[in-house]
Amino acid sequence: MRGLEFLVFLLLPLAVLGVWVVYPILATVVLSFTTSSGFSLGSHIAVVTERSPLKALIYPEPGPYPPWGALIHNALWIAIGLPLVVFLGVVLAYLLREAYGSGAVRSVIFLGMVLPGVVSGLTIRFMFDADIGIFPKLFSLLGIQELAKTWTIYPQTALLALILGSVWLWLGFSVTIFSAGLDAIPKSTIEAAIIDGASPVQIFFKVILPQLKPVTLVVTLMTIMWILKIFDIVYVATGGGPGGSSTVLALIMYTYFASALEYHKAAAVATILALLTLIPAGLYIKSVLAGEK
Amino acid sequence: MSQQEKRLTTIALALAVISLLLGGYALVVLQSLSSSVSDLQATVSQLKTSIDQLTARVSKLEGAAAAPPPASPVKLVVIGPWAGKEADYFQAVINAYKKTHPNVEIEYRTMRAEDVAAVMPVQFAAGIAPGDVIFGWAWWIVKMGKEGHIVDVSGLINENDYIPGIVDQVKDGNKIYGVPFTMWLKPGFWYRKSFFQKYGLSEPKSYDEFVSLLEKIKGIPGVKNPIATGDGVGWPMSDVTEHFLIAYGGPQLQLDLISGKVRFTDPRVRDIFANKLVPLISKRYFSEPIEWTTAVTKWWAGEYGIYFMGTWITGMVDDPKDLDFFPLPEARGVVGGADYAFVPKYSRNPDAALDFLKFLATEGQVVHASVPSGKIPTWKKASVEALWPPMQSVYRKIAGKGMSILPDLDDSVGGDWQKLFWDQLKLLWVNPGALDSVLKTLEASQPRP
Repeated sequence: MRGLEFLVFLLLPLAVLGVWVVYPILATVVLSFTTSSGFSLGSHIAVVTERSPLKALIYPEPGPYPPWGALIHNALWIAIGLPLVVFLGVVLAYLLREAYGSGAVRSVIFLGMVLPGVVSGLTIRFMFDADIGIFPKLFSLLGIQELAKTWTIYPQTALLALILGSVWLWLGFSVTIFSAGLDAIPKSTIEAAIIDGASPVQIFFKVILPQLKPVTLVVTLMTIMWILKIFDIVYVATGGGPGGSSTVLALIMYTYFASALEYHKAAAVATILALLTLIPAGLYIKSVLAGEK
Repeated sequence: MSQQEKRLTTIALALAVISLLLGGYALVVLQSLSSSVSDLQATVSQLKTSIDQLTARVSKLEGAAAAPPPASPVKLVVIGPWAGKEADYFQAVINAYKKTHPNVEIEYRTMRAEDVAAVMPVQFAAGIAPGDVIFGWAWWIVKMGKEGHIVDVSGLINENDYIPGIVDQVKDGNKIYGVPFTMWLKPGFWYRKSFFQKYGLSEPKSYDEFVSLLEKIKGIPGVKNPIATGDGVGWPMSDVTEHFLIAYGGPQLQLDLISGKVRFTDPRVRDIFANKLVPLISKRYFSEPIEWTTAVTKWWAGEYGIYFMGTWITGMVDDPKDLDFFPLPEARGVVGGADYAFVPKYSRNPDAALDFLKFLATEGQVVHASVPSGKIPTWKKASVEALWPPMQSVYRKIAGKGMSILPDLDDSVGGDWQKLFWDQLKLLWVNPGALDSVLKTLEASQPRP
């Protein structure tokens, strides 16, 4: 009887996983390595060597500002967005811990997380619009006219606008996780540091931050995975332009799939994207398992 | 771990492996089953096409009378690109049809042509369609028709009843995959008569006069830039660019660019960009790209002097009587194009859908052109007097200048190149120094004849 329960218990989820998760993944990988005549690396070679600015993974004629290719744009996104998400997440979580009205501030920060992607994309467009956007207005007040314009229509600033906008969107996640991490730190360690005469700065850097290391790892890896998958806000805010200056991998995958109807190439980009995502995903799983031990 | 637990774990693992193997086997069986079903569907579809063609031929022989109104209630889903006021104008067409077809319930859903082209190929491949009558780009309709997803309507309309060349856009050999609906024109730069009167401005008669006009508008207090630049997906910039190409390269250049005979790096094309369009962008006569509907409001409020847009603008302003336009003085052709509708093979009510399609292609056009839709009929049997009065004057002005109506460059080429064209023009507008790089990029992806 117990064996039968086991069978039912395992069979159903395995079947669901097999059909809805394992099969599509395998089929996509197979699709990326095949053509109508059989096995081929053609799709992978074609997407890697593509020169059109809207579809290039690495743009062959890079200038002083984008387009540089989706791979570089994604890397740049990680290089700029990730430190900001982690740093601002820790600082805000720490400052908002016991501050008056912190709940309201947290709600505003968390708003970015719950907005649909299309709305977020439009919000980013408005945030960087010369007439109504907060960023151009701020730079106008500071007298920096080069940045007091609509960021999303210039190749020099379009990608940066998206990166900064995405930091706001993802900050809610970072603050929430760091807040939970801060709550989990035993008060006794902080009290001991106070008795030993440590200053608030010393307590933050030498007592709190080291204890937030596992949480930081989670935020870092989840943020990288999120950045690699980013599509909707780019699609809505800039469409990858102007001149391909803000394309990202997921957008190129979509372009091949839904616009050019080149499914093999779309699958090739998806496979590359999945491989890149697997690195942080693997590290994340490893850290979770290490935590369980 | 106890002995029993070990045994259970082993059993669980064995079951997991068996389930995976079974799952894999089931998938293989399902795939082969689905392939057989697809083959069967294709055969049925071929048979249906043959029957449709035979029926069409019989209809032609019998005088191609419209199908009688269905006796029992039928529901049709119609998908088109219009929203807001434009959807209201299309609703007038639906209402007119329902008067004579009370048993037909029609639900209208808005979906842009870009989204139709993006979403529906996958649905068609799965043998389903979200609508019974759908509007889409002509090139895309033909592409889907060739793939066997669209009903051939060659017996439904008489090609000779339409503006020459307009049905060709949805033809593949003898097959016609869609019907033309009403037509828009992109005739030139629109202005407010009251604005021109107030500042003593007049329509230019040469390129130099055009530049002088822009300089005068630039000097008017409160004007940000002489020309408003529409943005969004990208087509407003391609429209004004095409107008310059037609004006200074002639109508044939537009056709040769579409066919790919003339390349974007051709000296003639570069000359038009370098000497006519780019200098105006560099001197900031054009505004920065602004979302195109917002640009309408700002231009109407006097922040910009003129605005290049299609005839649908007549239905978007507060007072169409205050509206007039001028093409570039040297232009001998204007871009015009129709919206096209088709019936997917997966429609649940193909007979009723085809009947409504026929109405759209004929009397429905008269209804649509009689309301402030900013459109003119492509059906030659519709009289000019039936047009909404502001469109009558547009039509007469175009006809009076003896202009030819040309197909839209990027709509005709379509595909990925269209997006690239829009995107590169966005780049050119904010970085006119990138002209050669833009032309080179466009040429590299431009389809060859």
